[in-house]
Amino acid sequence: METNNWKRKPGIGMLRRTMFLMATCGIAAFAVLIARLYHLQITEHEKYESLAVAQQLREAASSPERGAIYDRNGVPLAISASVDNVYLSPVEIEMYGEDKDLIADGLSQILGIDRNEIYEKASRQGSWYVTAARKIERETADRIRAFKEEYGIKGVRLETDTKRYYPNASLACHLIGFVGTDNYGLEGIEAQYNAYLEGGSGASVRGTNAYGAEPMFGNYASYIAGSEGCDVITTIDSTIQYYIEKHLRQAVVDYDALNGAGAIAMDVNTGAVLAMASLDGYDPNDFLAVSEQARSTIEAAPNEAEAAKLLASFQARQWRNKALSDTYEPGSTFKIITLSMALDSGAVSLGDRFYCPGYASVIGRSSPIRCWKDGGHGSQTLTQAVQHSCNAAFVAIGQRVGAERFYEYCDAFGFLNLSEDPDENLSARTGIDLAGESGSIWWSRNTFCSPKNLSQLAAASFGQTFTITPLQLITAVSACVNGGKLMRPYVVAEIKNAEGEQVFRREPEIVRQVIRAETSEKVRSILEQVVGDPNEGTGRNASVAGYRIGGKTGTSEKVSLEAATGEKEYIVSFIGFAPADDPQIAVLVFLDTPSNKTGIYISGGQMAAPVVGAMMADILPYLGVRAEQDSSDSSNKDVIMPQTVGKSLDEAAAILRKAGLRFRTIGEGETVTAQLPAALWQIAKNTETILYLGAEISPEKESVPNLAGMRYNDARDMLSRYGIYLHSLSTVIDGDRQCVSTQNIPSGAAVEHGSVIEVSLVSNDDSMLGKY
Amino acid sequence: MRYETARLADFSVLRAESRRQGFDRSFFSLVMLLLMLGVIMVLSASFPRAYYDPGHITGGSATYYFVRQTIFAAAGVGAMLLCSRFPIGFYKRYAKHFMVITIVLLALVPFIGVKANGSRRWLGVGSLTVQPSELAKLAVILLFAAMISRRRGRMKSFREGILPFALILILIVGLLVLEPHFSASIIILSLGAAMLFLGGAPLGWFAAAFGAGGAALGVLLVFFPYASGRITTWRDPFSSSSDEGYQIVQSLYTIGSGGLGGVGLGGSRQKYLYLPEEHNDFIFSVLCEELGFLGAALVLALFALLILRGYRIALRCGDPFSFLVTAGITTLLALQVFLNVAVVTNLVPCTGISLPFFSYGGTALIIQLAEMGIVLSASREIPEGDRME
Repeated sequence: METNNWKRKPGIGMLRRTMFLMATCGIAAFAVLIARLYHLQITEHEKYESLAVAQQLREAASSPERGAIYDRNGVPLAISASVDNVYLSPVEIEMYGEDKDLIADGLSQILGIDRNEIYEKASRQGSWYVTAARKIERETADRIRAFKEEYGIKGVRLETDTKRYYPNASLACHLIGFVGTDNYGLEGIEAQYNAYLEGGSGASVRGTNAYGAEPMFGNYASYIAGSEGCDVITTIDSTIQYYIEKHLRQAVVDYDALNGAGAIAMDVNTGAVLAMASLDGYDPNDFLAVSEQARSTIEAAPNEAEAAKLLASFQARQWRNKALSDTYEPGSTFKIITLSMALDSGAVSLGDRFYCPGYASVIGRSSPIRCWKDGGHGSQTLTQAVQHSCNAAFVAIGQRVGAERFYEYCDAFGFLNLSEDPDENLSARTGIDLAGESGSIWWSRNTFCSPKNLSQLAAASFGQTFTITPLQLITAVSACVNGGKLMRPYVVAEIKNAEGEQVFRREPEIVRQVIRAETSEKVRSILEQVVGDPNEGTGRNASVAGYRIGGKTGTSEKVSLEAATGEKEYIVSFIGFAPADDPQIAVLVFLDTPSNKTGIYISGGQMAAPVVGAMMADILPYLGVRAEQDSSDSSNKDVIMPQTVGKSLDEAAAILRKAGLRFRTIGEGETVTAQLPAALWQIAKNTETILYLGAEISPEKESVPNLAGMRYNDARDMLSRYGIYLHSLSTVIDGDRQCVSTQNIPSGAAVEHGSVIEVSLVSNDDSMLGKY
Repeated sequence: MRYETARLADFSVLRAESRRQGFDRSFFSLVMLLLMLGVIMVLSASFPRAYYDPGHITGGSATYYFVRQTIFAAAGVGAMLLCSRFPIGFYKRYAKHFMVITIVLLALVPFIGVKANGSRRWLGVGSLTVQPSELAKLAVILLFAAMISRRRGRMKSFREGILPFALILILIVGLLVLEPHFSASIIILSLGAAMLFLGGAPLGWFAAAFGAGGAALGVLLVFFPYASGRITTWRDPFSSSSDEGYQIVQSLYTIGSGGLGGVGLGGSRQKYLYLPEEHNDFIFSVLCEELGFLGAALVLALFALLILRGYRIALRCGDPFSFLVTAGITTLLALQVFLNVAVVTNLVPCTGISLPFFSYGGTALIIQLAEMGIVLSASREIPEGDRME
């Protein structure tokens, strides 16, 4: 038998062969494997580990709550709230086999987005994060959560984000600015203080499964806690901002300012910006939206490229802060600076007299400079020269100061930065803590100070041939009236972290003492007479009864534009401050390119001064500045209509007489059953009101007449015959000498009996009409 | 003589005899130790996939694979103990029948097999599936051992020692190629060669077979771009890390992440669906990541001990059939372990080979444990004087 060959044990050959297999399969093979593992796990461990970790980690930035922006009284200007972003994870949708049609239909219904768009996003190969909608409100997010739950959908996800809200809509929009969709500040304080506001952005790094979103269990999730954004407390006073914007907006309509307008209110002693406005504005909650008028222009564009270009230009225009970013020739408002340096340097004194023949000859100029008044102002004191805004006198004053000294004072006022190079055109900024500030443009020292050509100096003396920003002007003028200190303007006073600890505080910064305190006092008193003198002051339209206001008008010609196109365009402006003896606030208003259509004489005195007056009339009582009651002018102020209904005729007559109002009666009776106007309306003094004795007020409407140019008292009497009444936003000093300039209800509009039309007044002195 | 009685398959006598002798406890203990480690690793490696359930299999139950593997393991241990009870002569007697059944099943697979990943490798009856290629491995060992032990003196001749074996191998491999099942073919060919090597076939034939195999491989690489693509992926998996090379690249990340001490049992990150087949063919990669080089080396050492123990049992067997079966099963185990770890560490081109006692899968586990039971059965019949302490 073959098996007999097999001994009790395998033969020696078998043994050898088995030993060979043992050596190869039992030892050598494992030695190879262990060597290989050593190479992979020990030698190349770090390389493979870092590669593995790189693919396992998903980093997600968690945006901390952005800090709020407050005004100086704690009124919130910008706040943040939690919202959700919706995104799709197409890889998961694919892996879990979720119904893309269901997702597309569901989300489209909840979010109001095109279903095909969602379907397309849900179908993107290999992607685990496609944004479907950003910053949706909580209720919408809840509906999506319910939708996810109902159908067990994993491929639709929500992540928390924050949304910026601006509770006051467009109020102070250019100061506050706005944030982009990523919550990054793009303009204004939002941009300038973004680092503080956004806080330390937190990040979560977590290991996730290969499809991206699901975290690993207990495996490295590390959260870098974000620090909440800091709150920024500004110098803005939203009430003052509101007054400024209200009157500026009205002015743009009244005077048809084609290129918008701007205004700044500044604390003259600290340089704190209380308000800053630029029109047209925008709503930072929806900063991409343009005005209706702009939209219709865009819709009329011939093609899409043109429309996009138009949209971009309208957006850039509405975002532009004209008070900060526009430069202009300040015109006669700059005479404050010339006056200050002339008095401070001793080049002129209060007793000096100046003769104006209606022109001034200047070395280096072929034609003489003309004063705005034909025939000239004749002989004037220094104060009168300022009151009259006399160009000829100021050319003389400038020449007395001298080009070199003039140039150095301008440097001290922050209009130019002196440099070593006498041929360099100079430029300067105030250094305000806001993005987008433009710099001034000045002639080089050699050009300006050339003894052979004094025309630059002559024009500069009344504010032409250089450009500055409105902010630079109000900052310099504040120095002229606050005792001579040039302050660094600023809008952020304090920054607090989320715990309420102060992390930053700005103390008012004195850049330098520009003029002496005594000079400043003289300047104040002269400027007060520009506004306060009802006969000679070119700024009289800015006066507010009971308050001491100083100021200066300006009508700047766009010289370079005229040189280029021959068109005459103006920026009319007024800068005022109050109280004149102890200034607290300065207000600058400028209207860019009022059109000819309004029929109102284009000048700072006729247009900008009444606006500043109206602003001051609101702001000064708000600031608690005490009105001087003994002023005789106040007797002409508008009065409040008392309640007479239910009273007997005799009683009513007494009440009205006491209020300073006249009346006529309609009907036969002894008791007042109705009155026109209704109680509490503010109307012109001595208006003839109507008392109804049993009769009914006619429901018919009246057509509003054109009041422009009418004396205030005449307009009052004419309107009261129709049962319409008049209220002046300007201070009424003398109703027979002030004329209506603008009215808030246009002529031809139909109004009910008892309506009150608000008007602004200007002086009716024809001899004062001029470009000053 | 003992082998005479075995050949007569006198069950009653043998059973009485075998009861008197216990099986090899060391071998059994090593198997149980590896099996327990394997089941724990299935739990650790599989729960993310079971939980996320991207393939819509588990219904989101994290312990889906673990519970099943535990049941398979219990069934497998039962099979092992049962197989250890049968006298070794039983296997010799029915080796031919077993081969016939296996071939019939293999022949059925291409027609009624369950298709997965482009291949038909499974036969299914309801939820019960069987992989006939696993059976084929055992069938080859048993039949070759029986045939060799019957033709002890004639193994040197081509007609007797090579031809019948070669024909059987060609038949089986031919059927496997139809599925296709490349890795099983390689293992069965290697296994057949090892059996003939142990059976005393002339060494010259092996040289010729290696030469022929090398030439065949060369032809394959030149004419089949699919095969040469595999070689390219093997040489530089990172060049195609997002498609063909993805699996092996992820495996290297997984193994390399482990370092010396590993990230801790249960702590693998790569098993979160980055590494494909993490509870199957690539379970050893997860083990490397979680237990580190030290743990992986320990597990390999346990396998090495088991394999050496298996050969040791073989050498002490009292009859050629027992010797051949034991050595064959041990060699099969060594081949599986080596090829699996070599694949996951990218030592050899990627192909699907499971790791005994570790990889998830019912048929393979039960059959492997049954094979261990056959070794244990052989260990019962070691003559008194050769028993190991």
